[in-house]
Amino acid sequence: MDPILTFIVILIGFYGLSVSDNIIKSVFMVTIIESGVILLFLNLGNLEGGSIPIYTEGLVDIVDPLPQALMITTIVIGSTVTAMALMLSIKVFHHYGSIDWKTVLNREDLEL
Amino acid sequence: MTQIAVLLILIPILTAIFIYLIPNKKASYLAFVSQIVLTVLAIVYYQYFTPNYEETLFVFGSWDDRIGISLSNDRLSMSFVFLALFTWWMIIIYTFNTKQSNQVFLFFLLFLQGVFLGIIMTNDLFNMFVFLELATILITILIVFKKDSSSFRSGIYYIIFNTAGMLTFLIGIILIYFVFGTINILAIKEMMPLYGDSVAARFAYACLMTGISVKAALFPVFMWLPKAHGVAQSAISALLSGLVVKSGLYLFIRVNEMYAGAGYNYTTFFFTMGTLTAFFGVMFAVSQKDIKQILAYHTVSQVGIMMMGLSSRDPLVYYGGLLHVFNHALFKSLLFLGAGVIISVYRSKKVADIRGVAKTMPWVTAMMVIGMLSITGAPIFNGFISKSILSTGFSSGSFEYWLLFLVNIGTATSFVKMSQIFFGEPMLSYPMFRKRENFALMGFGLMCVLAGNLTIPLSQGYFGVDISFVTVFSFNKFVDYAMTLTAGYTFYSLVVKPDLWPIKKIREARLPFGMANAVFLALFATMSVYFVFLA
Repeated sequence: MDPILTFIVILIGFYGLSVSDNIIKSVFMVTIIESGVILLFLNLGNLEGGSIPIYTEGLVDIVDPLPQALMITTIVIGSTVTAMALMLSIKVFHHYGSIDWKTVLNREDLEL
Repeated sequence: MTQIAVLLILIPILTAIFIYLIPNKKASYLAFVSQIVLTVLAIVYYQYFTPNYEETLFVFGSWDDRIGISLSNDRLSMSFVFLALFTWWMIIIYTFNTKQSNQVFLFFLLFLQGVFLGIIMTNDLFNMFVFLELATILITILIVFKKDSSSFRSGIYYIIFNTAGMLTFLIGIILIYFVFGTINILAIKEMMPLYGDSVAARFAYACLMTGISVKAALFPVFMWLPKAHGVAQSAISALLSGLVVKSGLYLFIRVNEMYAGAGYNYTTFFFTMGTLTAFFGVMFAVSQKDIKQILAYHTVSQVGIMMMGLSSRDPLVYYGGLLHVFNHALFKSLLFLGAGVIISVYRSKKVADIRGVAKTMPWVTAMMVIGMLSITGAPIFNGFISKSILSTGFSSGSFEYWLLFLVNIGTATSFVKMSQIFFGEPMLSYPMFRKRENFALMGFGLMCVLAGNLTIPLSQGYFGVDISFVTVFSFNKFVDYAMTLTAGYTFYSLVVKPDLWPIKKIREARLPFGMANAVFLALFATMSVYFVFLA
């Protein structure tokens, strides 16, 4: 896959973030951006026809292992953020009775 | 000795876990043990390495330092470490009690300390991203710790907006790895003159800076800050506004240091962003009616002032901005903590509902007045030093000079407004005195006064910048300050107090969440175009 395509995925995510009024959809848009970023890095680190970066005798054309190691970490962080954001949107729904950004943000808060 | 840097990150996190796991009320005292150990270690580390910081490089697992994760320090990061330790001391004292719920709170608080020290000391871009994301998650938890509806609303806004910002930062890191083949900051710095002019490196700079703008709450993308800092518990607001928002500015300094060899002309762009941030922050702050919202919007405007300084290539102006970072941390934490005591006693956040604090809480009032004098730039308090350096650096009568002056008047106006809470007849008849809270307030107040008087002699020795031209006890400066205050008071009584329609309109202005993201995307596009083609 071309790196340009991954940029399109990232931009779709950003576009969705700017048009969606739904909190849950916003959370998933962040996930889409993140998938785009991960794909971008794996693409740039890829080597056509290269072998797996596990050392054995006489290995040539190894794929760069660093992007893969870093992206595993990003996936872990991303899932944590998604879990956290979904938990918060449940809480927001309990308190406001809605997961619409407009309703939630325009409500005057009366409590301390 | 270099391993101490690792301990500075590890000890708070381990202590946090122990405090959470030990089912004993006494476990909370471990926080103090950890703080004492950290302070001693930091002082030893500082004493050992002071003149030659090149030796502080520590690589995990003794890998080649271009591959392995490494930590390193310099003069700037050491000052941030000490500032962080001091702030956490005071916050822990302020919030300390031995209840079970506080143990959970301490877990997140101390964990955040370790993560913040990690952001400061790391020498690896991806490691920095991991720490920043961890900090985002922990801060979200601390914001929603009050468990009321507005804090959940702010928490979700904060985590989504900041994660989107951090993902652009990650794109920048990826492009840097693509260009330089390493993510070690020192190594990239060395290679910068070779590859710095390529399109990918320029686009990487734009991506990194977009992420940093979100973290530092610069002009078009600052709307998350008042939401988050205005609704959290006061101690957390103090920590976030005073220190954690500075992680964005710290990254700005670090990334610009890293890109020094490329020689981009970033001054104009970030100076404009800084002025707009300062101006809009003050504009919103003047119109607010809620104490914590006023303080939170002032954080935005002060970040703008710091940015005006830090974006400059003139070493004097830069130093003024840097000093303002430290001074702001002291007085803004003081103001937020004081506001926290007042809010918890009066059970209201509205300026109009609170009267007679001077009679109920004289000690808190004295400390809040120190904070207000500092933020408005009164002589002998610390805000004065950095603001004087900045206004000396901008040539007198120039556009920047008057803009800083205008922002100062706005600041004076909103603190004249806030000082109304001290006067009048108290609604409570009994005086309040809280030992721990007052001690923390005293710590920050004392530091404000000390920094106001000792910075001039000390900065020659520590940062090697001669600022002896700033005279504290001069008649002209007092006249200037009195004039600013008078202008602020006039503006307050003519425009702000009657609540004229522009003030009301500004207060009721709301930016929808989707719109805020569209603005963020527009900023990203502008930065990419500017730094790829123009700078």
